[in-house]
Amino acid sequence: MEKNTDGNHQERTAHGGETIIEVRNLTKKFGHKLVLDNINLSIEKGKTTVIIGPSGCGKTVLIKHFIVLQRPSEGEVYFKGRRVDNLSERELNEVRTQFGYLFQEGALFDSMTIAENIMFPIRQHMKIRDWREVDEVVKMKLAMVGLDGFQNYFPARLSGGQRKRAALARAIALNPEVLLYDEPTTGLDPIRSDIINELVLKLERELGVTTVVVTHDMKSAYKVANRIIMLHNGKVVADGNADHIRNHPHPVVQQFINGQVGEDDLAVLRMSGSAGSSQFLPRDFQ
Amino acid sequence: MIAALGAKAIQDVVNAGQFGRFAWRSTVTSIRGCTRKSTYPLIWTQMFLIGVHSVPVIMITGAFVGMTLAVQAYDQLAGMGLEEHLGVLINISVVKELGPVLAAVMLAGRIGGALTAELGTMNVTEQIDAVRSMGTDPVRHLVAPRLLACLLLTPVLTIFADMMGVVGGALVSFLQFGINSRAYWMFSASAVAMWDVSIGIIKAFFFGGAIAVISCYKGFNCREGAHGVGEACTEAFVASFISILALDFALAVIFKSIYEIFWPVKSIVS
Repeated sequence: MEKNTDGNHQERTAHGGETIIEVRNLTKKFGHKLVLDNINLSIEKGKTTVIIGPSGCGKTVLIKHFIVLQRPSEGEVYFKGRRVDNLSERELNEVRTQFGYLFQEGALFDSMTIAENIMFPIRQHMKIRDWREVDEVVKMKLAMVGLDGFQNYFPARLSGGQRKRAALARAIALNPEVLLYDEPTTGLDPIRSDIINELVLKLERELGVTTVVVTHDMKSAYKVANRIIMLHNGKVVADGNADHIRNHPHPVVQQFINGQVGEDDLAVLRMSGSAGSSQFLPRDFQ
Repeated sequence: MIAALGAKAIQDVVNAGQFGRFAWRSTVTSIRGCTRKSTYPLIWTQMFLIGVHSVPVIMITGAFVGMTLAVQAYDQLAGMGLEEHLGVLINISVVKELGPVLAAVMLAGRIGGALTAELGTMNVTEQIDAVRSMGTDPVRHLVAPRLLACLLLTPVLTIFADMMGVVGGALVSFLQFGINSRAYWMFSASAVAMWDVSIGIIKAFFFGGAIAVISCYKGFNCREGAHGVGEACTEAFVASFISILALDFALAVIFKSIYEIFWPVKSIVS
């Protein structure tokens, strides 16, 4: 670990690159439920890291800690070597402008048009002298996600894929250094999913951003990832590139990437009874 | 049993603390918001939604309060031959008590419910998190304009309710009971002072603040799903209603004390 001139710690990841986000001994509990269990990991600058894992394993909670939308129960979060989990909301506002966050359902403001949604962070953080310039920026951001011409649409009028792309345009409005994607392809058909994957790659290439994607879509993960991390029961069970994950010996990893149901889950299903015994038949009403 | 009670008590204390912090933050942020020009368009929008749209319903409420008071009180006063004093009873009740309280209750239902539902939906669809993720304080952007609009407009709406209450009461007194209008207004003017009207308006200011803070808090902390939003709206209305009544009592006591302190001074001056 090297010390910077400003007193912050700058670290290199195990993969040799420069660390931009780091979590140390991160534990998160909701009441008595343990969601993240002593996680240690660092995200490499300029690379695409994909976090995979079954639903409810804590992937979204983990990336929400990166931007401190959630505070750890225990442990620490660092951004560019500066500890951020203990900052006040006011101090965090400045840190958060360096992030773009694509929410699972887009989280577009439904009372605003798409253009107003994209203008929102610009209005909040930039001094606007010429509104035509802002319109140009909005047009450019929408063009990057292939939605130029949709400025005056309200989110409700867009399809699921368009909404995600519009939300992505909003996420890149402030030219962030880090883009966090929360299940960007969930609920989309395979073609729309691939469009989103191409966009992830395009934005990484053109903007040079650090990308963190949370997904359980393995096709998407293999396509965009430089590195894949798998979470299971709140712990990291696998960490490496696509080949490393494909050949990982851990049975949980193999089950997940091949989409196979485990013996434990099957046992639960068998215990639930047969289909015939769990539905009403005409004779039940006679 | 004891453990459950203890846990519930601790949770209630935690909730009260969270609400206190939220209320304090909202107040401080709103005061700061007054000095920031960028907040003004947000306040105008909320003032339009909260104020302009509420005028008809508030005026109707006020008018019926005055009219009902006239109908209820006439027989008692007429029995004593004091029917010309009906205006005193109606007008003092309207401007001091029933106008502000019933207008606030109506606003708690109309505005409070809408605020909670809007912010609750934003909460469950992660729109509030989206505001935070873009480096903006959601209290500054979402709560402060609503709180300021409620603080400024509840007194104004109360004046509308009072006016309509006075007019409604007078119309019933004149048209239905045939009371002499000159005597009615003369007795009213001698009994209802500026102090009484001011009390009602100051009360409305506090009621407006309570409605906004409670409704926004419930919206920000609502549980997931349609059921969660519905539950938050109900809780917000009940809590606002109780707060209005509790504040009404507390302010009545305070204003009475103030009046008793300053009443001798008033007598000396006049």
